[in-house]
Amino acid sequence: MTLPTLPPDVDEIVPGVVADRRYLHEHPELGFQEQNTSRFVAERLVALGAEDIRTGIAKTGVTALIHGSKGEGKCVLLRADMDALPITEETPVEFASTNPGVMHACGHDGHTAMLLGVARILMERRDQFPGSVKLCFQPSEEANGGGARPMIEAGVLENPHVDACFGQHVMSDRPTGEVWVGGGPIQASADMFTITVQGKGGHGAIPHTAIDSIMVASDIVSGLHKIVSRNIDPLDPVVISVCSFHSGTAFNVIPDTAALKGTVRTFSPENRDLAEKRLKEVAEGVAAAQGATVTIDYDRGYPPTINDDAMAALAATSIASIVGEDNVKPMIPIMPAEDMSYFLEERPGCYFMTGCGNEEKGIVWPHHHPRFDLDEDALGIGVAALAQVAIDYLNS
Amino acid sequence: MALNPTITTLIDEIEPGLIADRRHLHQHPELAFQEYETAAFVRQRLEQLGIEDIRTHVGKTGVTGVIRGTASGTGGNVLLRADMDALPIHEETPVEFASRKPGVMHACGHDAHTAILLSAARVLADSRDRFAGTVTLCFQPAEEVPPGGGIGMINDGALEGVDAVFALHMAAAMPTGTVAIAPGPVMAGGDLFRITFQGKGGHAASPEESSDPVVAAAATIASFQSVVSRNIDPMDRAVLTVGSFNAGEAFNVIPDTAVIAGTYRYFSEDTGKRIEQRLTEIATATAHGLGCEAKVEIIRGYFPTVNDDAMAELARLALVDALGERAVHLAEPVMGGEDFSHMLRAKPGAYFVVGCYTEVDGVNYGHHHPKFDIDEDSLAVGVKSLVSIALSWLDHNKEV
Repeated sequence: MTLPTLPPDVDEIVPGVVADRRYLHEHPELGFQEQNTSRFVAERLVALGAEDIRTGIAKTGVTALIHGSKGEGKCVLLRADMDALPITEETPVEFASTNPGVMHACGHDGHTAMLLGVARILMERRDQFPGSVKLCFQPSEEANGGGARPMIEAGVLENPHVDACFGQHVMSDRPTGEVWVGGGPIQASADMFTITVQGKGGHGAIPHTAIDSIMVASDIVSGLHKIVSRNIDPLDPVVISVCSFHSGTAFNVIPDTAALKGTVRTFSPENRDLAEKRLKEVAEGVAAAQGATVTIDYDRGYPPTINDDAMAALAATSIASIVGEDNVKPMIPIMPAEDMSYFLEERPGCYFMTGCGNEEKGIVWPHHHPRFDLDEDALGIGVAALAQVAIDYLNS
Repeated sequence: MALNPTITTLIDEIEPGLIADRRHLHQHPELAFQEYETAAFVRQRLEQLGIEDIRTHVGKTGVTGVIRGTASGTGGNVLLRADMDALPIHEETPVEFASRKPGVMHACGHDAHTAILLSAARVLADSRDRFAGTVTLCFQPAEEVPPGGGIGMINDGALEGVDAVFALHMAAAMPTGTVAIAPGPVMAGGDLFRITFQGKGGHAASPEESSDPVVAAAATIASFQSVVSRNIDPMDRAVLTVGSFNAGEAFNVIPDTAVIAGTYRYFSEDTGKRIEQRLTEIATATAHGLGCEAKVEIIRGYFPTVNDDAMAELARLALVDALGERAVHLAEPVMGGEDFSHMLRAKPGAYFVVGCYTEVDGVNYGHHHPKFDIDEDSLAVGVKSLVSIALSWLDHNKEV
């Protein structure tokens, strides 16, 4: 496809954004260990002249402010995540990871480099907007409960008070030049559960003196799949997957316990609560019916990522001015979860997906794959789009 | 007709040797098909007793011998069988003659079975003039590991010329001095199964691209509960148990496969076939209905142990002769399996149990427990039982 013509100031800095991205790609760091990355970010921000640079937020997070010169106004937060994954890189690129077993296999190197590029553009375009832009470089989107929540708890949404938040994620399964934007839920919540069934062990040939934990756990698996089919509004999708079932070792011994592990994905807070409630009721009820008991460990992960309709509409218009209306696609919700959701729970905003796939260049591997790569032509598009969204929001 | 007083006296006289043999065997346990020292010990004892036609390496480590009666009559041939193998259990009893082999233990009483049959051989060899016909002694390897050592011995000709078969098993839960026998099925048949559900793995959040084998296996197990309740004659007895279920590791990855394994037990071979057929149908159809494929593997275990009614009655009367009416009980069928079933399928006979109740640290530990032990007073009871049954059977079959 023909790539959009970038604004000249963006076009000019693209080589720098690419160089930053390659540096970050070569030096990936796991969640909450982004020491070198945040040092690199802070140095860049200092060099740009960004104000109020704060480091060490939620361990390795960095924030900075850029004040517009058009006077008082709102504050918009732009967020990029910085962490890499525990994956051994298998790409042929020259700037492949030098940190064994750690790889930027999800594009967060691109997100960080793009937000640095956005900062550079906004510094140059301060005369185009009132209010302020808060740059937010977040640790650990991939693991350990995420860095977004502790950053919010550390106060990044205040001083100055943030009115709206935006961010983007590169997407290798969509071509460079296209951007996906939409209101409402776009990514699912991801909760984890462990259900341990306590039965009563015994000899396989003497079932009446035992309480068969395998049978109870099997009934629970069957019961859990009735939640989606019978309790959930078909128009508001939910996934419940039991991904692990372990019990017993012998052919002829009824085991004492059975352990189920799995995940629940939802797109609305209501369904999230309902699914958790029904999961517990089903597990407890099925177990009680057979004289067994259950211990349920329900671990809430990221909430659903829900874009504000008005913010999504604003972003779609801004992004269309960069890539053209035809290349702004309606966002199709996806199941993987994202901790940008915490920002979007607190403030209206929009998270959009920037295509970075390129079949001609062989950039086709999915995220989290050891051969994942991003088309660097997407970086300039992402910089131009996010900068435009920020300027348009502050002027609205 | 009580057991001949001369024989009873002889058994009392040889009791110290009987106990010593059992302790020697207990101290030197060997696992299934590795009973080399045990077989050598048995062979040596049989040679000392002047037993004829001693054959070793019958069915790998089995030993046989015969005692021919000298009384008048053509006579039949009765086989007495003892199993010799120990278990992969680390002994925890306080006895002085505890296992010298770490991790191997006579925790089921096969040491007692072997010692009892050696003493019975001694008594019967001393009593050749009291019977016409032949006693075949059968020391069998590997009762504990299905399908058992009995098949190999049968294939090596251990039952050639044999007319009837008898065996005993120690029973920890019954008091010493008591025995139990019953006609018909006394121990269950049992097979093992393993079912692999082949689905299609994928991300937990994209179930539509996967075929979830956890769902298929769970649904199968739920339906398995209807086999006994819906497919088996309520007057028959059976059990179907899933003993293990293994699938997946991660919270968020639908696994490719789920593997369940278990056992089913039955008292008639037809019921066993019916369970096998139903579990195969249920697993295959349920898996298919849920987009997976089920591979069912059956690992053959023991057949049901079924006593011949007439032989059980003959043995019961002989036990009454040897031990008195009050000592002999009606055996309740048990769900455990036993490879004497193979010999009982080939020849009429009976299997009975000998009480050996004892306590270690105030507890009566069951068979296969690391603290399992027997009351050694039960050994002589076992010898009297076997000798009485053999002589009674031979007496009933003088002119075949």
